[in-house]
Amino acid sequence: MTTIAAWRRLDHLQLLLIGMLAALGLMTVYSAQADWGRQLLWLLLGVCAYIAAAAFDYRRLRALAPGLYAGMILILLAVHLVGHSALGARRWLSVAGFPLEPSELSKLLLVVILAAYLSRSESVSWRSFGLTLLLVAPGAGLILTQPDLGTTIVFLAVLFGMLFLARARAWQLFSLVFAAGVALPLLPYLLHGYQRRRLEIFLDPNQDPLGAGYNLLQARIAVGAGGLFGQGWLHGLQGQLGFVPERATDFVFAIFAEEFGLLGSLVLLAVFGLLLIRLLRAAAVAPDRFGELLAGGVFVMILVQVVENVGMNIGLLPIAGIPLPLISYGGSATITTLAALGLVQSVVLRRREVVLGDGALGTITRRAQA
Amino acid sequence: MRLVAAALLAVLVIGGLAVKLAQLQVTDGAILAGMARANTVHRVTLEADRGIIYDRHGVPLVANSPIWSLEVVPAGMPLDARARAIELAELARITAQPELQVAADLAAGDPYSSVPLEPSLSQEQELAINERLPQLPGASIVQRAVRTYVDPLVFGHVLGYVGPLNDADLKRLGKLGYQPGEVVGKVGVEAGLETLLRGRNGWADVEVDARGAIVRTIATQQPVPGDSVYLSLDASLQRATAQSLAAGLVRDGKTAGASVVLDPRTGEVLALVSLPGYDTNLFTHGISQADYSSLINNPDRPLLNRAIAGQYAPGSTFKMVTATAGLQEGKITAATLLSCPPYLNVNGWIYHNWASYSLGQMNVAKALATSCDTFFYQVAAMVGDVTLAKYARAFGFGQAKSIEMPGVMPGLVPDRFWKQLQCGVPDLNSDACRWNTGDTITFGIGQSYLLTTPLNQAVYVAALANGGQVMRPTLLDDVRDASGRDIQSLHPQVTGTVPASAANLMAVREGMREEINRPYNMNYWFRAAGVPADGGGKTGTAQWGGSGLDLPTHAWFVFFAPYAQPEVALSVFVERGELSEVEAAPIGVDVMRFYRDHVGAIRAGTV
Repeated sequence: MTTIAAWRRLDHLQLLLIGMLAALGLMTVYSAQADWGRQLLWLLLGVCAYIAAAAFDYRRLRALAPGLYAGMILILLAVHLVGHSALGARRWLSVAGFPLEPSELSKLLLVVILAAYLSRSESVSWRSFGLTLLLVAPGAGLILTQPDLGTTIVFLAVLFGMLFLARARAWQLFSLVFAAGVALPLLPYLLHGYQRRRLEIFLDPNQDPLGAGYNLLQARIAVGAGGLFGQGWLHGLQGQLGFVPERATDFVFAIFAEEFGLLGSLVLLAVFGLLLIRLLRAAAVAPDRFGELLAGGVFVMILVQVVENVGMNIGLLPIAGIPLPLISYGGSATITTLAALGLVQSVVLRRREVVLGDGALGTITRRAQA
Repeated sequence: MRLVAAALLAVLVIGGLAVKLAQLQVTDGAILAGMARANTVHRVTLEADRGIIYDRHGVPLVANSPIWSLEVVPAGMPLDARARAIELAELARITAQPELQVAADLAAGDPYSSVPLEPSLSQEQELAINERLPQLPGASIVQRAVRTYVDPLVFGHVLGYVGPLNDADLKRLGKLGYQPGEVVGKVGVEAGLETLLRGRNGWADVEVDARGAIVRTIATQQPVPGDSVYLSLDASLQRATAQSLAAGLVRDGKTAGASVVLDPRTGEVLALVSLPGYDTNLFTHGISQADYSSLINNPDRPLLNRAIAGQYAPGSTFKMVTATAGLQEGKITAATLLSCPPYLNVNGWIYHNWASYSLGQMNVAKALATSCDTFFYQVAAMVGDVTLAKYARAFGFGQAKSIEMPGVMPGLVPDRFWKQLQCGVPDLNSDACRWNTGDTITFGIGQSYLLTTPLNQAVYVAALANGGQVMRPTLLDDVRDASGRDIQSLHPQVTGTVPASAANLMAVREGMREEINRPYNMNYWFRAAGVPADGGGKTGTAQWGGSGLDLPTHAWFVFFAPYAQPEVALSVFVERGELSEVEAAPIGVDVMRFYRDHVGAIRAGTV
């Protein structure tokens, strides 16, 4: 396959959407007075990872899956043993002087591992269902005890979503929902004090406006202050004057919404929505079940992060430390997200398609039967 | 199938987010934008300088001196709980307050506004804290103006002091747009002339960041300083009066007294002294509990301004009223001779003169000069209580003067109707309710139930001096706004005229002249002080605390001068004074000596 032929087969719309998100993200990080130069560096590194992942034949990952699994458990263990703490949680590894957040990387690793495991058969038996849960449990446990509630939620969402896409039986999915329903009342006992507090504050944000409720309240004020058209780039009062906490990472959406208003926010959501549809399309055209599940897993991973991050910024969901993909400041998350999208591009590149016809809506393709 | 379901789910969920966003940014947008503005834009008060108070010659009696206060913006303190606790402990240590108190103060108000923790820092404290400020995020040292009074023991009772607005003040001044915590005059001229002195505060709208630091100023309204007030007081005379009174009290082993000097032509108060005084600066700089309770518990009651609020029987100084009433009502003439026996028997009750022997036949002038009690018992009996009370009121007795200070007391003029009203039981025949002849004749010598104040006494003697005009006493000479423009000057006000002919008043004044020219007695003090006894005066030793013999007394002296064209009238009061000629009169003579030298120097242009 020549480079030109490969370029033609690429999902160009995905490229465009990624470019838009990266540009908006960089502008917002700049406005949030974070180190935008560094974020640019992360983006460039991420683009390298993206190209490498797209060029790499994703099918070879299947064989590597057991090794990746061992690696994931190892780096998560390493965090517990030699990691650095910030804000009361041990999440960071120092790699060649750069801080690395293994839980970000582990999201992608989980997608690859689950895709590899679930693609061994066309359906999900009760046996492989149980084994899948056993497979996910150690990683999820290690992340939950960092503690990192946000990534744990992403883990569980990816697990559920990929089982769904792998055509797990309705009863299997229902049993997961049931388990979650049983676990929910136990949640207060499992959570750390500050996490429990966040949950209470979510239920009543006005009970402690300067303490635990501060983040939620100030983020909501910032979003609301944006109004229809926004206050203009670099002109958000709440954001520029530092009232929004964690304004380059967890609450970057509040900064964006304050400066670009409802119109800007809808554009951003639309871009995310289109990107997500493109990921599902990649799953649809994947040449094999592994590729389908891989693209589907990346879809779930990005969807859940967008929903939780935007949701907590607008007071719809409780606060959990989850970045907004490609917008939030942060090296590990940015590079991981771009690598994941690169893998999806790799799936798209290697599609086998039967042209059914050129219609007004474009070329309709269908995955060839293996 | 599942991919389509996933796509639908994604679209639905993102659509849900969009709906919530629209609600937040459009429906609630205005409210939340207002909250964002409230977060970031704060109105800071720019305090107006309070007007300065001067004496009539432009001598400043109070200054707005700088003082430093430690203030903390709670939002500027570290968010981290441990760092916050460390800073809290440090602030508590610096201000020597319990940590809980500091924490409560900081939690009480708007987290983005300054909370004053220590309102008055000494110079050393200010320097010490300034050095440590970088380690105390959110804390700052703010300079404010504080009232510092000149010679508070001399001027304190006139000037009063200021303090932070309390609930009672708010009720009194609320309509004038006062804000909680604003400084207002509490007593004295500071309170009486509050509206002139206050000025108008300005404001600045500033944009602050999440740490409470000011980013920029959006708009300002400059404050307008209060007006400069020139009192009618003469600072030198006030000082001399206070010194004379203090020296006189010490000489006679007394602790409290008062004196008022005014110009009988205009009603201008030239000096107004009440002793003991107190340090009004204690109040403006934040008085300690110990200092305050020692002022409150002092048996000499230094916080009481006796000159305007001390009510005492006038004793013999009242006899000019009785004389005026007798003459004007035609009961006696200037030439009528009455006896002056050692006592009078009224219905079996014995009423004594101060002398245990008869002083012989005398006219009204001599009766005043010798202060014959039995003469005035007879006159009072002839005039009757109701008419006597009418004349007393005409001279301004029983009237709270409207001077530029709060807390002026009226004194009391009794008569038979008043006494009946005092009775709980309407039993007109009981002794407690029924006015009797004894009440009338003791009324005639300034006893009975009669009460007056040193200020009322000065106004009364001024009216005798100026031919019967009761002047409104005033402390205000001139008011100028911040640019020096004259906005209000003195207009003498006559509040009443004594219904007596010029000739009758002259006969009374003649008695007052004879009184101070009596050999071996009053005249001695004038000669000793080197002051010509050119004027009219009257002493009074008033009994108080019940009826009978050997009661405690207060000493009075009232005086006007010069005799022909009076330009000064004064009253001197010595609490628990035993002999007015010896204790009160020399103080008045001393004040007059200073007055003569001082006015002489002013007229000669050497002051």
